[in-house]
Amino acid sequence: MRQIIRKTYSVCPVCLKRIPAAHVALDNKLYLEKNCPEHGSFSTIIWHGLRDLESWRGDLPEIAQGENENCPHGCGLCPEHQQDTCCVLLEVTKRCNLHCSFCFAEGGDGEDIPFTTVRNNLFTLADPGKTLVQLSGGEPTVRDDLPQIVAAAKEAGCQYVQLNTNGIRLAQDKEFVKDLVQAGLSFVFMQFDGIDDAVYRRLRGKDLFAIKKEAIENCASCNLGVTLVPTIVPGVNTGEIGRIIRFAVSHAPAVRGVHFQPVSFFGRIPALPSAEERFTLDQLLDVIEKQAGELVPQDSLLPSRCDHPLCGFHGDYIVMNDKTLYPLRQRDNCCCQPTSAEQNRAFVARRWQRPQAETSSDNLLKQEAKDLGEAEIETLEGFLHRIRSHSFTLTAMAFQDAGNLDLERLRRCSLHVFANDRFVPFCAYYLSKQA
Amino acid sequence: MAAKERKWKCWKCSEELVKQQVLFTYLGHTFSHDLPTCPKCGRVFIPKELADGAIAEVEEQLEDK
Repeated sequence: MRQIIRKTYSVCPVCLKRIPAAHVALDNKLYLEKNCPEHGSFSTIIWHGLRDLESWRGDLPEIAQGENENCPHGCGLCPEHQQDTCCVLLEVTKRCNLHCSFCFAEGGDGEDIPFTTVRNNLFTLADPGKTLVQLSGGEPTVRDDLPQIVAAAKEAGCQYVQLNTNGIRLAQDKEFVKDLVQAGLSFVFMQFDGIDDAVYRRLRGKDLFAIKKEAIENCASCNLGVTLVPTIVPGVNTGEIGRIIRFAVSHAPAVRGVHFQPVSFFGRIPALPSAEERFTLDQLLDVIEKQAGELVPQDSLLPSRCDHPLCGFHGDYIVMNDKTLYPLRQRDNCCCQPTSAEQNRAFVARRWQRPQAETSSDNLLKQEAKDLGEAEIETLEGFLHRIRSHSFTLTAMAFQDAGNLDLERLRRCSLHVFANDRFVPFCAYYLSKQA
Repeated sequence: MAAKERKWKCWKCSEELVKQQVLFTYLGHTFSHDLPTCPKCGRVFIPKELADGAIAEVEEQLEDK
């Protein structure tokens, strides 16, 4: 039986006009349904009924009539936006050294943003001592002056500088990695879609697995933490999810975690998506249980509480010597209250950045941390040593596109793009028509 | 004299404290640490530097974001 269970607002995927929408339950699945007076009705699957949605979402209020009326077309952030900036994304180039079949930013043959513009943007966006800036593109590493950009970000007062990259140059140019670290780069988000080159050929147009491993090695030798970022596309790499997790764990502590991004349909996309082409958050949870259940206790993956619960999840672990994961939080021992962007920023930085002690001449500390095994985390000192060096996260971010955009979710977004002197929620900034 | 070298007595029992393994439990995790403990009543003395240092850091690491 078809049943409306929640009301919200979305956009028409054809003209992007803001229109009412509803969560509609049918055959245990949940759809976002909406009707554009000009372009007709649209229905997009948003939950497959593989997890209890009400329990996952908690008691967040739905968006009421009269709230967030300028959303999403009035963005930058307005007083009605319900979350501060956790991470701010800054594009430094439109150029890219790949031509992927999926790309939110439509990278390719564009141009670099002039250095003075980038520098001015960094000084405008930075809240000294707080900001986490993600340098993105295009592919940022095509710029030879990227280390100068990283240094400018630090000079502007950014506490953390994150690099969003495909890893190609990090693999091929170790001196460049050293220069980035020297300039103050904090950690890397590296595109990593699987451990099978067939996946890379399909999504990225060439074999890249060996390059990814080389990039991880070069970052490891510079004590630079790498989080693997797979774009999950049905029919391409959903079968890789467990292998990606095991690969990441086996390359800890250089690899700090996996950040899954189910495919979203904005920017450059092959065609309008059908239900089978989407991969919902509960499908991802289900596949992780099926493919890596022996490693990842299901109740260790918790709904996002900085962003909207339907936007992602996080799991927090220590990697043990035998390459198992010791979960730090499970649903029965967490606080489960919404958290601030500042708390979230401190958390991700603690986990994704490698501790400085490992690069220092303090070999004793290095050795102590290395020697501590599973039994030792039962002591205060042993636990702290291990969590500083071997923390690991499994996280996910389900970006929204014109098909499944839910303004209840968008108004809680903490990932913001900085452009034209404004902070714009990621999914609003990259929103693009689907026809 | 450093705090860790002082001899402490239990304010209630007047017994001299002796180092014993103490268990801390927080958010479902249990850790051990050797601390001055009253052999008679079991009261434990937690030095300020431990409370402000390792214990505070463990709390921060375990508290959900």
